[in-house]
Amino acid sequence: MSQYDALFEPLNINKLTIRNRIVSTAHAEVYATDGGMTTDRYVKYYEEKAKGGCGLCICGGSSVVSIDSPQSWWSSVNLSTDRIIPHFQNLADAVHKHGGKIMIQISHMGRRSRWDGENWPNLMSPSGIREPVHRATCKTIEVEEMWRVIGDFAQAARRAKEGGLDGVELSAVHQHMIDQFWSPRVNKRTDEWGGTFEGRMKFGMEVLKAVRAEVGPDFVVGMRITGDEFHPDGLGHEEMKKIAQYYDATGMVDYFGVVGSGCDTHNTLANVIPNMSYPPEPFLYLAAGIKEVVNVPVIHAQNIKDPNQAKRILEAGYVDFVGMTRAHIADPHFIAKIKMDQVDQIRQCVGANYCIDRQYQGLDVLCIQNAATSREYMGLPHVIEKTTGVIRNVLVVGGGPGGLEAARVAAERGHKVTLLEKASELGGQLVYAAKAPQRDQIAGITRWLVMEVERLGVDVRLNTSADEAMVKELNPDVCILATGGRPFIEQNEEWGAAEGLVVSSWDILSGAVEPGKNVLVYDTICEFSGMSAADYLASKGSLVELVTDDIKPGVGVGGTTFPTYYRSLYEREVIMTSDMLLDKVYREGNSLVAVLENEYTAQKEERVVDQVVIENGTRPNEELYYALKSSSRNKGQIDNEALFDIKPQPVLEGGSDEGMILWRLGDCVSQRNVHAAMYDALRLCKDL
Amino acid sequence: MILDWLPPTLIGFLLVLAGIGAIRRMNLWRAGQAEKVNILAGLLAMPKRYLHDLHHVVERDKYMSRTHVATGGGFVLAMVLVLFVHLFGVKSEILAWALLAALVLMFCGALFVYKRRMNPPSRLSKGPWMRLPKSLLTFSITFFVLTLPAAGILPEGTGGWVLTLVLSVLILMSLSEMLFGMTWGGPMKHAFAGALHLAFHRRPERFGGGRSTGLKPAVLGEASHGVAKPTDFKWNQLLGFDACVQCGRCEAVCPAFAAGQPLNPKKLIQDMVVGFAGGTDAKYAGSPYPGVDVGNAKGAPDQIITNGLISSDTLWSCTTCRACVEECPMMIEHVDAIVDMRRFLTLEKGETPNKGAQVLENIIATDNPNGYSPASRTHWAADQNLNLMKDVKQADVLFWVSDGAFDMRSQRILRAFVKLMKAANIDVAILGDEELDSGDVARRLGDDAAFQSLAKRNLATLSKYSFKTIVTTDPHAFHCLKNEYGDFGSDALKGVEVLHHTTFLNRLVKEGRLQLDTFKGGKVTYHDPCYLGRYNGEYDAPRELLASLGIDVAEMERSGYRSRCCGGGGGAPITDIPGERRIADMRMEDVVSTGAEMVAVGCQQCTAMLEGVVEPRPVVKDIAEILVSQLSEEVNS
Repeated sequence: MSQYDALFEPLNINKLTIRNRIVSTAHAEVYATDGGMTTDRYVKYYEEKAKGGCGLCICGGSSVVSIDSPQSWWSSVNLSTDRIIPHFQNLADAVHKHGGKIMIQISHMGRRSRWDGENWPNLMSPSGIREPVHRATCKTIEVEEMWRVIGDFAQAARRAKEGGLDGVELSAVHQHMIDQFWSPRVNKRTDEWGGTFEGRMKFGMEVLKAVRAEVGPDFVVGMRITGDEFHPDGLGHEEMKKIAQYYDATGMVDYFGVVGSGCDTHNTLANVIPNMSYPPEPFLYLAAGIKEVVNVPVIHAQNIKDPNQAKRILEAGYVDFVGMTRAHIADPHFIAKIKMDQVDQIRQCVGANYCIDRQYQGLDVLCIQNAATSREYMGLPHVIEKTTGVIRNVLVVGGGPGGLEAARVAAERGHKVTLLEKASELGGQLVYAAKAPQRDQIAGITRWLVMEVERLGVDVRLNTSADEAMVKELNPDVCILATGGRPFIEQNEEWGAAEGLVVSSWDILSGAVEPGKNVLVYDTICEFSGMSAADYLASKGSLVELVTDDIKPGVGVGGTTFPTYYRSLYEREVIMTSDMLLDKVYREGNSLVAVLENEYTAQKEERVVDQVVIENGTRPNEELYYALKSSSRNKGQIDNEALFDIKPQPVLEGGSDEGMILWRLGDCVSQRNVHAAMYDALRLCKDL
Repeated sequence: MILDWLPPTLIGFLLVLAGIGAIRRMNLWRAGQAEKVNILAGLLAMPKRYLHDLHHVVERDKYMSRTHVATGGGFVLAMVLVLFVHLFGVKSEILAWALLAALVLMFCGALFVYKRRMNPPSRLSKGPWMRLPKSLLTFSITFFVLTLPAAGILPEGTGGWVLTLVLSVLILMSLSEMLFGMTWGGPMKHAFAGALHLAFHRRPERFGGGRSTGLKPAVLGEASHGVAKPTDFKWNQLLGFDACVQCGRCEAVCPAFAAGQPLNPKKLIQDMVVGFAGGTDAKYAGSPYPGVDVGNAKGAPDQIITNGLISSDTLWSCTTCRACVEECPMMIEHVDAIVDMRRFLTLEKGETPNKGAQVLENIIATDNPNGYSPASRTHWAADQNLNLMKDVKQADVLFWVSDGAFDMRSQRILRAFVKLMKAANIDVAILGDEELDSGDVARRLGDDAAFQSLAKRNLATLSKYSFKTIVTTDPHAFHCLKNEYGDFGSDALKGVEVLHHTTFLNRLVKEGRLQLDTFKGGKVTYHDPCYLGRYNGEYDAPRELLASLGIDVAEMERSGYRSRCCGGGGGAPITDIPGERRIADMRMEDVVSTGAEMVAVGCQQCTAMLEGVVEPRPVVKDIAEILVSQLSEEVNS
């Protein structure tokens, strides 16, 4: 046995034995295709988790039971048709054959959706009150519609059961139909479906009864509930305890999943999937409070990423199952690695929330640092096999995430890998990213990669600025350039970069330039770096105005992360200004004058400051590439057809006597992001 | 002639002395505890046991086996003829010529003995053993010359009384060694005691190619348990100790000795002799227990052994790997003796060292050595969809899971084996939480009471169900089930085949029930677990399985019956007697020296010990794990 025994104690939910205490809780995957069917990608994604040892997967966050709860926006699973049943059978078989269990969350999202597409439905809610996050207007649901939806829930549960899934989870969280009825903030009805406690509970109770009657006593039916909506006019913790107790007393609920926070405002939404700014398990106390009053197992997720953390929670008995959903997105072999005594090899979620922030845009869920996740169906591996072919000398130039990933994958393949890094530490831009307040955990991406390349024996040479002569001398078979970019602050000559009037966000975050007293941050990119620079400056005591020519500062930052920036920026009294171009910067005495121009009126304003910080993205460091390109075997070209097909690069078929293969990836090609660089590194090197 | 009477008189005199010595010696043995043996059958079987079984062991060292055949055979023949020709005065040139031939044979053998003693390996005892070749040569030359007249080669009376006197002195010298020494404790004692030891061996099953490795059950409820004093041994165990030739083959293979722990099996046996004969070890002329000076040990037949004769650390250093027993040309049973003495220390004194006492308490309280909750025994199988015997009552195969169930590393072996069984569609069930520890550790630590309690309760559980075969991945449990549970009067395992998983899997592969792909990894070596190999003779199945994957095993120098222990047996990791090195490290060095990237094993204990060696080192995998990664088709669990 091990220190992690508490994780590996099987526990029953109803009659279903779960092999360990780790659950991948329901999240919207955005992988269901063909009108909401769980097709190949979906199945392989969950199969990988089961293969990796996850005890229970609850799939399909917000899977719809009715045709008037739209599914296409988030490619969620559609349980409103029997067409789903054979797809479920594939899914169940894939998970079961690895000893895992799988259930699905089923829901009618009520007003929490969009009406302007698919079947163009009128969205429905107990009292027709608009939902702000989705800008969703809705009608007041009528009793006939209620009974129809209740019946849809029962039919959806039947389909899950007939498809061989192990259970269903009724979503009564995230302001879906059931908890829209529960919450006095949304349910203003005065009929038997509202008003009193029993009235507000009635819809959910009828759903539960109908589902239980349909599936019988042994099929698992759970409920996911909030522990506290954090709205003064919403459901508080004590009321939620009462609700949980009320449903538990029916004996028809087999488990409760508890989520801290409501989510029908941008600010509460950020709580639901806590990003790296949150402390560990911030809402465990809410789940523990529910566990106090119910007799069935309680599951809790939210910022539980580490096996020791999970063990501590379980040993203390706060809850019965620990949800580690993002932890599994980052590393579906999380459990297997604990069992293999390879805890140090777990790729730990850093809370970058790339996954969920993509989901809220209706994009497929991807992991910022694990490009294989959800691409299993394409043949991208989580475990890199050693090559049975030739062993190559691989040179990687640049130790950012792309270069590190290339080095890692090449080394896993068994090649001899050398990694050159100009700076004194690895991580590339992540080094700067981690300097910002509340963003330090992003360095976890680097930490894992560095530990892996060390474990794999990569020859890492720091403080080594590679040039053409050095590469020629090392004479690699394959040279991968991941030399990154540099801040592009000279795009507009009027900014005065040449005269030293402006500095870059990197200069600030790296500490190369001391924060000024009165600082204007001009951010054309509106993603993390500008917000981080502003937040960093403000945290050091600077008076900061964050100006963008875009529609709002941080508009490119996802829905679960811009709120945490905003909390910090507003608290530090950062002025946020939109729609203003930075026209020019000039010196006046000891001060700088920044001239701003309103994009829509051309009206100019001036700011007198002592520091102007520009975040205008990067330009690629491509000098070395062009120096090496002509003499390389492939002239630096990557075969996109093979790359996109996850096939080996054709150039690898040739003999090593034909000269060096040259590839470049990441920001030294064009500015993209961590995932893009790591994805290219993985798909290029996995066949090396 | 004037002194013609002298040689026969001397021969007769020494024969009488030898006879007195023999009776004295036998009385020393008889001070041991009664043990029924069939005297006549044993004596009749003795020559065959010598010529076949013992010779089979000696034969591993060709030089020594030929030398011994010439010397020993020549001597026995010569000595018999000497009696006829020189004592009884039978006048026969044929006998005389035969005697001359025997002496020539013996002389030739003795020359090789002499040669070996010129620069003897460290394992050989020195002291009186160094004069033995001279005595042998003297004997053969003396009687050769003495016999020449009788053979008609020289005229009677050649050399006159002077020669006779000289020969008489030489006769006295050589026969003192060969006859007097034989029964009074000289090197030749081995011939006398050895012959009787073969006749009255405590494990006659070992002769004729058999195997007898299960420990004898302790009789519980007596006034005292285990061996406290030399006289607590069975009489034929004492006899066995006396048979030792101090060749040191045991010492050369003992892992504890090599690791610098205070154990040397040869010295242990010699100390036993000191114990039952009384005296000190001052005359012992072999390698000491590492780190312990020779000369301070005192013993007497009725003296507690661990009070001055040997340190209990010596007893706790043993891994019960049986390398010494396997290697002993005199077929002495070192492990029996060690466990007998451990039984006293544990059951009477409560002196099981280090974690020993805690482990035994755990076993008593929780039925497993590490004190895990008995209700967590089947947690590992929560996702395996395995039938429980209590539900199905019968199955073709009962999978004895063993305490690897509690260990995350071992669980990988268990899961691999289950997957292979599923791939072969085996009708299998497990006992689940009804299974208890096999008792192996308790028994090797001397707590036979705990062992017997576990054995009886396990047998009672097994007797409730019906199965044809019982398979386990744990060679220790395998050994208990196969060789030791039979002593407790249960029918539970009657007609049941007990198999190690490698044997079982090998059958499945041979029957074509497992489809496996060719292994494409690097070089692989195989480590024979002691309790699978030496204890149960299974050397082939694991190798055949590896061969079936296309693996050409890079054998270690010490493999098969000479495999070196991993250090994990006999409770040694629990009693943890300090040495200079770790046994597992030495074994890993053996692995590394083959150039292998992976060492295949068939035992979770070996896996744990070898994986405990610091990296970088070759990968350690159970054969089931290697097979499962080569399964051609995916298997549903």
